Amino acid sequence: MQLSCHSALNKLHSDTEYTIVLAGNPNVGKSSIFNSLTGMGVETANYPGKTVELNMATTSLDGMKIGIIDLPGTYALGTVSEDQWVARQGVLDGNPDAVVMVVDATNMARNLYIVLQFLELGYPLVIALNVLDVARREGRHVNINRFSELMGVPVIPTVANRGEGLDELIMAATEVARTQLKPKPLGISYGLDVESNIMKLTEAIAAGGLDDPYGLPHRALALLLLEKDPEFIELTSVMPGWEPVLELASQLRELIEKEHGQSAHTRIAGERHALAGLIVDEVETREEADRPGWGERMWRFTTSPITGVPILIMVLAFTFLLLYFVGSTLADVMSGFWGEYIAPPAKAAIVGLLGDNVVSQSLEWAVSGIEAALTVGIPYVLVFYILLAFMEDMGYLNSVAFLTDSVMHKFGIHGRAAIPIVAGAGCNVPAIMGTRTLTTMREKVIAGTLIVMVPCSARNAIIFGAVAFYSGWQYALLLYVIIGVLWVLIGLALNRIIPGHPTGLVMEMFPFRRPHLATIVKKTWYRFKDFIFLAVPILLAGSVILGSMLQTGILYRVADVLSPVVEGWMGLPAVAGITLIMGILRKELALQLLITIAIASGVAADAHGDLNQVMTNTQLFIFALVCAIYIPCAATIAALARELGWRRSIYIMIFTVALAVLMGGLVNHAILALS
Amino acid sequence: MTGNDILTPAVEEYLEAIYKMALDGQVIAARLAERMSVSPPTVADMLRRLSDNGYVKTSRREGVQLTKKGQETAESLVRRHRLWERFLTDVLGLEWDAVHEEACRLEHAMSPQVEEKLSEILGHPETCPHGHPIPGTPRARKREKEAKPLSELCAGDKAIIERVSEEEPKLLQYLGTLGLLPDARITIKEIAPFKGPMLVQVCGAQYALGQEVASKIMVKAKK
Repeated sequence: MQLSCHSALNKLHSDTEYTIVLAGNPNVGKSSIFNSLTGMGVETANYPGKTVELNMATTSLDGMKIGIIDLPGTYALGTVSEDQWVARQGVLDGNPDAVVMVVDATNMARNLYIVLQFLELGYPLVIALNVLDVARREGRHVNINRFSELMGVPVIPTVANRGEGLDELIMAATEVARTQLKPKPLGISYGLDVESNIMKLTEAIAAGGLDDPYGLPHRALALLLLEKDPEFIELTSVMPGWEPVLELASQLRELIEKEHGQSAHTRIAGERHALAGLIVDEVETREEADRPGWGERMWRFTTSPITGVPILIMVLAFTFLLLYFVGSTLADVMSGFWGEYIAPPAKAAIVGLLGDNVVSQSLEWAVSGIEAALTVGIPYVLVFYILLAFMEDMGYLNSVAFLTDSVMHKFGIHGRAAIPIVAGAGCNVPAIMGTRTLTTMREKVIAGTLIVMVPCSARNAIIFGAVAFYSGWQYALLLYVIIGVLWVLIGLALNRIIPGHPTGLVMEMFPFRRPHLATIVKKTWYRFKDFIFLAVPILLAGSVILGSMLQTGILYRVADVLSPVVEGWMGLPAVAGITLIMGILRKELALQLLITIAIASGVAADAHGDLNQVMTNTQLFIFALVCAIYIPCAATIAALARELGWRRSIYIMIFTVALAVLMGGLVNHAILALS
Repeated sequence: MTGNDILTPAVEEYLEAIYKMALDGQVIAARLAERMSVSPPTVADMLRRLSDNGYVKTSRREGVQLTKKGQETAESLVRRHRLWERFLTDVLGLEWDAVHEEACRLEHAMSPQVEEKLSEILGHPETCPHGHPIPGTPRARKREKEAKPLSELCAGDKAIIERVSEEEPKLLQYLGTLGLLPDARITIKEIAPFKGPMLVQVCGAQYALGQEVASKIMVKAKK
């Protein structure tokens, strides 16, 4: 469940003796450490309007309860991106007793940037020097004592995915939390000219005897103001006495800019990188590795165009096939089991309790609702989540993003959206939840709309069952071509219509890693839990409502109202309207219901449900086309609302319905005109 | 000279701004409006005048570009501005931060003869007091020729970052935190097909940079 960050952080503080923040770059094993230290009871919290989440959980050491806050992995603290903002706000609001910085030993220079930022903020700090095993294999040796001395904080060597060093880490962190040991770095200072400006500003802040926002050290505030941090400038500008300091900061910024021909922010960033480089030169010795490691070679293999593109096509095809075959087999098994052992007694129980009437008949639909959740949820969602977590943990997702970025860019989205879009062909629900990795709302809306327009396995079943079976595969193919063309046109149009422009891709690429089973299982579980909480209630409620409408005959009246559109415009029989509405629950239902209703209303002669008794091949074609485009199913709507908010998902729903009706009518009239 | 009739100080300021922005990549009319603190319609109007008089050409793809004539005019303006700045600091002993405004006023009223004499008196300086090259000197020509957008490099090339366009301050800051800063040494490891992103190595880490981002990073190629 989503909590607001403030209340969640306060609760964590009051429930535990110490709170510890986990921070560091992305892909340094931070989540492995978090997962190993904590149990399953993880809470996630959001800042209003932000999609990057804070995870928090508790652990215990010698009977003490310790709260752990996992910041999003970032390269720096700041305001330039959402993850950097959330990371900074999380640590400022979390006001932790200690910070654990996870540093990747294979790339210390880049990792130290954010560590230097944290040292400036003055929190008691411990460094976890992680993936030391890989670093050793690469021929890197780190003088840990010297490193600890220079940084002025304890350094604990760890290999997080094997659990090595984690006990020592949590003990060291609790110890600095208890003693409130402030970092005492040796010679963390920048180039003389920049440093003298920092000093001037620090002194001005100290001399003013001012209130410090978040109780930060004066030097940290001086740096933030010199870096022209918009949030801190705004914050201090309304605090009494800060005006002359802000004035001085702006003068000093100009001075730095004039002297260096670079903005003060760029200059300070340069100084931090230079310092990080100096520290690494002093503590690390490196033997040239005789050849690149397994991870590096795998990774080159998957990004080089000649080998990467075929691998990508194979992986995408594999994903699709696995979802399609394993997913649908599992779905059949589940629904068979449900239909055989659970549904009849459940329905009998409902009838036994309430008698055979409209109420019990409506409630019986709830049983079908659970079946829908079981047959969509477990097979497709679980299979996709396992695959996604596996590819993510191994590092393959980045290769995909790299190779597909130029194509995806035309639609205004990143290469990262490629995997969810393909996964949409299995089931839209996990695909939409997979758009969480995209950074801007603009990209999420475009990707969400495009995913909804990818025919999922249920819609494919309709296309096969209603078109390929009756009219032949050529017509099914034609239908896919129509959808494909529409898809591309809409992608291009969305990129033009939606305000803003696509953000440029800047993404770290890291060598492949051995996937870490516990992390994959946990990731899959959290996402799956999300799905269950989200989809099941909606499916249940939707089933009962639609079921009662069908049983009471209201739905038939709705169909009458819709008949000018359904019959007049699209040339479909009126019953088709009812099945289209019921299809909101689950798309296959549309086809199944068509057969059932046909039989019930005495149109179809035989129980096998020859659809031609109800509709001609042309009508079936239109029916399948409409089914493939119009509103996604209830679970998809819920997923959309979760990722994009209700307002945006309602727009998408209206849009797809309008498009489906438009296309259905156009094809109908085109065929009428031709014949 | 033809067309000189429209060259008021205000028009010259526009040419100068376009010239400076073009050094950092594509010039977009909206950014120009921001820089000049005027409304987009005002900029559109001015661009039409400049284009009618053959100083600039605008297109959807390339943005605003100076013509040869526009380039020469702007260069000479920037040159005069920076020479005046030198004069004000070196000869009159004014402070650095005060000279920019003064030079802005002086640069517009100056004949080519005075320009030449001024350069001579100052000993043909190559940079302004703030370190920017004075156009028309060998050093400036060399620097302009060498620096090119990162997006023009090929896989396997090595380069040093010269500067990053300040058009998008947030991007500039973000790249800065990654170590993509002036003077950083970089290697192009790979370029994705169909004008896809570039894989760039900088201080031990590798980043995929989209072509748009890469076009905003000016680099000097290294052997």
